[in-house]
Amino acid sequence: MSKQILRINMADLSYKYEKVPKKWSKWAGRGLTSTIVAEEVEPTCHPLGPNNKLVIAPGWVSGTPAAPSSGRTSFGGKSPLTGGIKESNSGGLSSQKIAKLGLAAIIIEGTPKDEKWYTLFLNKDGVKFESADNILGKGMYQVDEIFWKKYPNEPAIIGIGPVGEKKLSNAGISINDPENKPGRYAGRGGLGAVMGARGVKALVVDDTDGPGVDIADMDLFKAGRKKLTDAIMSHDLTKPGGGLNLYGTNVLMNIINEAGGLPTRNFSAGQFEGAAKISGEMIAEMVEKRGGGMTGHGCHPGCVIKCSNIYPDEKGNDFVSCVEYESAWAFGANCGIDDLDYVAKMIRECNDLGLDTIEAGNTVAVYMDGGALEFGDKEGALSLFDEIRKMSPLGRILGQGVEATAKAFGVHRVPTVKGQSMPAYEPRAIKGIGVTYATTPMGADHTAGYTIAPEIAGVSGKVDPLTDEGKADLSLTFQAATAFIDSTGYCLFIAFPILDIETGFAGMVESVAGVMGLKADGVDAIAMGKEVLKIEREFNTRAGFTPADDRLPEFMRYEKLPPHDAVWTMPDEDLDKVYSWID
Amino acid sequence: MPNINVTLYGDIASYGAGKHIAIMDLDLPDGAVIDTLLQEISLPSTERGYLFVNAVLFDAPGLYASKDELLQNGDHIGIFSIRHMWPYQYRDGIHMSEALQIAMEESGEMKNTYRDINQPESQ
Repeated sequence: MSKQILRINMADLSYKYEKVPKKWSKWAGRGLTSTIVAEEVEPTCHPLGPNNKLVIAPGWVSGTPAAPSSGRTSFGGKSPLTGGIKESNSGGLSSQKIAKLGLAAIIIEGTPKDEKWYTLFLNKDGVKFESADNILGKGMYQVDEIFWKKYPNEPAIIGIGPVGEKKLSNAGISINDPENKPGRYAGRGGLGAVMGARGVKALVVDDTDGPGVDIADMDLFKAGRKKLTDAIMSHDLTKPGGGLNLYGTNVLMNIINEAGGLPTRNFSAGQFEGAAKISGEMIAEMVEKRGGGMTGHGCHPGCVIKCSNIYPDEKGNDFVSCVEYESAWAFGANCGIDDLDYVAKMIRECNDLGLDTIEAGNTVAVYMDGGALEFGDKEGALSLFDEIRKMSPLGRILGQGVEATAKAFGVHRVPTVKGQSMPAYEPRAIKGIGVTYATTPMGADHTAGYTIAPEIAGVSGKVDPLTDEGKADLSLTFQAATAFIDSTGYCLFIAFPILDIETGFAGMVESVAGVMGLKADGVDAIAMGKEVLKIEREFNTRAGFTPADDRLPEFMRYEKLPPHDAVWTMPDEDLDKVYSWID
Repeated sequence: MPNINVTLYGDIASYGAGKHIAIMDLDLPDGAVIDTLLQEISLPSTERGYLFVNAVLFDAPGLYASKDELLQNGDHIGIFSIRHMWPYQYRDGIHMSEALQIAMEESGEMKNTYRDINQPESQ
């Protein structure tokens, strides 16, 4: 059975299945969400108005048998945070279940005429529209629990917390993990507010007896799957007992700190004296010492890397998943807080309220920088989430993210690009990431430019790390590679084995080609990735973006970053080269 | 006699009597280089990943660019296990020693590791 598009109209509470148009048939994941958004959403529409849409799409290989670490779901729409196109993707249970229902994408459009809130229950028989009155105002921990009690097949739950209900710009979309906890988020860009604007509190997906995923060339798929799995399982970073499995993404905390690139106290320094106390190594120590929680946790079924963790409370009970690097940095180093327990408490608040941790941590740091709270005041920082929960005027400002908070508190050090705040990598110290932050259509995004095999990228070993030269071309290649991986359904962390192990890259391509019915040499990752970028860039142009939006914040050009006293030196004209092939 | 502050991250912390992180202050002989330090703590070169001196990257997994670098009194050295990831895009543009820049230019700087993936991790 060929894949279908499920179109849900919230204006009249109807739905229909549509054949995937030929022009969309080569896309999945990010490629498909961005294609649909670009075609169906007027770029100048208000992100919270009736003309925006929420598009959800699994990747090419999601839902196929035993494709390793392939449970990513892409969410797309016009972002309330950036005003541009947005794709935000997540692990959790949703991708494989949507794919196994034979769906290429779900499009949620319209606004309920009765202004009521709904839960959508989706299974092989279609969509049921149910009142969400019983879960309105509830946090995602409770929401997930309610639905697993109601539906015994352990469905995927895609939902929004109270912040999404209020349509605040830092609202993320929660996806339950295999333990039915709201630890996985399509967090960036405020797509939770877009879901809220559709009147949808939760989308429950039960794939029982679904038709599954068609694989056009099973032999090619299996051969590719084996090569990729072997590469993942043999690489130091991704194999069992490897860096990601042992310490999670927070394996980066100490290394970025040692390099002087760890944004500290709202991007005023590059090293944090308390970094080790909030690092992945410390999480491993806590898990061992407290006898609870775990490292090596998988965020979705079939993940072989298992970089997630469950952080234990002081009594050894499971407390929150997941303390990712970016989350630990946002509430830790960037707020001057070196207490992992408090960092974990703030992450749990975000998971429950439905907030993106990166934007929320940056928001707290900007609030501190404005003098409203001392850097390092962990009790004060935690209490801010009470304000958000109460939806006090302060809470509403904080829920809007960094730029709104900076304006409210008179802060000039505003670490954003296109309205979205920067993740845990200081562009004055790590200049390559700065080019990607500045130019990606997504706003400052650390996942927008991942490396793949250099021989494919054609830039191996030719770029001087200490000069600005060549970084524009490199960033474009990385962004294109990432757009491709974001379309596969594979986790970005396959980037390590496919960079270092030639057969790993071939395996990824072959598995995708096997599903799509193409020859392996018919899949040009960079060319396809560039097509996605072009679609996204052109949407932003039609929304009113210009090259002037492709800039890092001004303070980075004149405020020296310790310990190297580095400033951002990349000329604007070099940044403009990244997308000169389109503009 | 230079006094050096060293932090070992990951499973190599066992060479400093730690499990995941070990912090040590060591007195090394005058003229000590990085190789002197690695021998002092008995850390096999095959288990050494990224190595920093005072927030400057001096070595990468599988490269040996830094072993003859002279250490100074008060230096801080951070050494990571070979399992520590550091994606290229998150290190593109950081401060590196001259010797490492040359070694990376020769070896292809975009790699995550320069060690043979098929070789055993320790001697």
